[in-house]
Amino acid sequence: MTTDTTGTQAGATTASAAPPSDHHAAPPGADDRSRRTWRGTLTALPWIGPSLALIALIVLFPAGVMIFNSTRDISQSGVDRGSAGLENYADVLAIDALPRVLLNTVVWVVVVVGLTVVISLALANFLNKQFPGRQLVRLAVIVPWAASVVMTTTVVYYGLQPNYGIFNQFLADIGILEVGDYGFTKNATSAFIVAIVVAVFVSLPFTTYTILAGLQAVPHEVVEAARMDGASRSRTYFSVILPQLKPALSVAALINIINVFNSLPILRIMTGSIPGYDADTTTTLIFKLIQSDRRVDLASALSVVNFAIVILVIVAYMRIVKPMKGVDE
Amino acid sequence: MKDPNTRRTTLSAGRPLRLVALTAVAGLTLSACGFGGQGGGGDEGDGTTLDLLVPTYSDQTKALWEDVIAGFEEENPDIDVNLEVQSWDNINDVVRTKVQSDQAPDILNIDAFAGFVEDDLLYSADEVLSPETIADFQESFVENASMDGTQYGLPLIASARTMFYNKDLFTQAGLDPEAPPATWDELKDAAAKISALGGGTYGYGLPLGSEEAQAEAGIWFFGNGGGYGDASEITIDTPENVEAAQFFQSLAAENLTQPDAGATDRTPLIDVFIQGKIGMIVGLPPTIGQIADKNPDLNYGTAPVATKDGSPVTLGVADHLMAFKNEGDKQDAIKAFLDYYYSPEVYVPWVDAEGFIPTTKSGGEELATKETIAPFLELLPNAQFYPSTNPQWSAAQGAIQSLIGQVAQGKEAQAVLTEIQAKADQ
Repeated sequence: MTTDTTGTQAGATTASAAPPSDHHAAPPGADDRSRRTWRGTLTALPWIGPSLALIALIVLFPAGVMIFNSTRDISQSGVDRGSAGLENYADVLAIDALPRVLLNTVVWVVVVVGLTVVISLALANFLNKQFPGRQLVRLAVIVPWAASVVMTTTVVYYGLQPNYGIFNQFLADIGILEVGDYGFTKNATSAFIVAIVVAVFVSLPFTTYTILAGLQAVPHEVVEAARMDGASRSRTYFSVILPQLKPALSVAALINIINVFNSLPILRIMTGSIPGYDADTTTTLIFKLIQSDRRVDLASALSVVNFAIVILVIVAYMRIVKPMKGVDE
Repeated sequence: MKDPNTRRTTLSAGRPLRLVALTAVAGLTLSACGFGGQGGGGDEGDGTTLDLLVPTYSDQTKALWEDVIAGFEEENPDIDVNLEVQSWDNINDVVRTKVQSDQAPDILNIDAFAGFVEDDLLYSADEVLSPETIADFQESFVENASMDGTQYGLPLIASARTMFYNKDLFTQAGLDPEAPPATWDELKDAAAKISALGGGTYGYGLPLGSEEAQAEAGIWFFGNGGGYGDASEITIDTPENVEAAQFFQSLAAENLTQPDAGATDRTPLIDVFIQGKIGMIVGLPPTIGQIADKNPDLNYGTAPVATKDGSPVTLGVADHLMAFKNEGDKQDAIKAFLDYYYSPEVYVPWVDAEGFIPTTKSGGEELATKETIAPFLELLPNAQFYPSTNPQWSAAQGAIQSLIGQVAQGKEAQAVLTEIQAKADQ
């Protein structure tokens, strides 16, 4: 980045220093720039090398194995029996439950990310105000972040268990249920809703803090200027503050989309005991293909499809929302 | 000004290149370690290291195996045994991953072995056991552990299912506590009366959740003359099985079972029975010990599983040890370990402590009078087994575990069984 800027400046200087009639000045400048960039990269290699190696080792290599596996015929005990061509992909697309699973995935991502962003925005605005005990409240918001997702989910899961779960017990005690044996996590719809609640809960801290950081970066003068010009409170918020939050909001939303789409533990715990595929997303379906059907090859193919979907969603998002662009550009 | 800068960059570029090369080499070495770790660790001198992978049957499984290993290593100082314990939830994934990366354990304890035989990964029994040890296995288990006449599985433990019923609930519901139901109609009638007691009591505990749905469903299928097929063919979508599925669906639909039967796992449901809230449930040998442990006051009885026409049948389950060939250089060590393990002084206390039925003749004679397994020993002659010598069985079992519960949730029985059959036939 830095090298690039210097290069550009150097090129620009050379070009502007040369008389406009001289054609030869500009090309050496450009040549110089590319050479410098190349050298810069080389100089930087010792520093970025280890992380590049790490990326190759723990990201690219497993991804490569996954793509390779998706074209193989792998036995249930894990032995490679040779090439399967694209048959695994055909099998994946032929899964009867796939439309329902894809629909679940869309609902899961849209609802969780939507709720998370809206609630986080409200929370961030609240935490941006001055009030006694603000530090404590800010700390409380981080707590779900500090706990492991599996732990949080398991605690809620146990609380919702029929017969001995504390939540069921409570509903029975106050008389809403006759006996505390409602299977919140045993029916596709209720389990899915509960999973969404937990997913929003664990996504809040990160999102809230990202937006809070964005809010604190809004210059005070701009808000003051708007007020001086007689803008109402809501007008100031929606026309001045919110547009400045766009980068923070869109980055938070993007990271959440990727996270939520790939999230396995919450759904795995909350909906894992439900028979059939009514409460599955593509990610949990991958898991079931491995664990129940013992089909590593099929699961790899679905993983590749899953990966392609994420990439497509991200590309579309980047093109439509342009999260890296600020308000002024 | 420009030139010196350039030169410095050129000069320093040499060293970074060397660093890059070093990093790349380091990366390759690291990854090489990841793939070839098998031979490296754990060897002491010229000794052999055996990897033993087992699932947990109870909280004491690990300690019991550690005792066995300690005794073995004392007698065989040149052989080390490396114990790895996994939960039943994970062990299939662990094994598959290990096999896929050529790191299969030398000895594995699991239920089904046919898939490994199909991929030619296992030693046959006569390659890793002395003739005396093989001769000590009970014939029915040997048959269940052989494919095309060759024995590959080494029967480890057996269990059979029997019906447990709560005598107090029977009395409260006006039923005779000494006459448990023998047929489906009687069972349904008893379940209806017990469920009518209200207050969170359930007539019949129906665990069709993924934990062990294949066992509960199997008991119903066998009870109607159906089943899962044999070594050459998996038969799940049959008229007998569909009728059985429709019957247990009616139990769930008429609220004669606990709610959400299709998503209830066995272990937590047996706890509810132990708490005294379920009239009847199918249990296994360790259930007796659990009741004695958790609620000794429970007034319960055991009876043969109810079937459609009252003829006795039950599900028998045998788990196996199996020995992997890997590089083929550990056969003698494996043989030494297995012969040691199956010697009556080691094997019988092990099975006894886990509360299962022994698979050896000597063990059977010694434990025949134990009250914890006596009710099950009687049932064994009528036991039907899973077709575990069929390579398709693992996939079928996984499909049953994840799908059969839909029947209890109201999905049409025929459609569910067709779906499972399709997965088994893949």
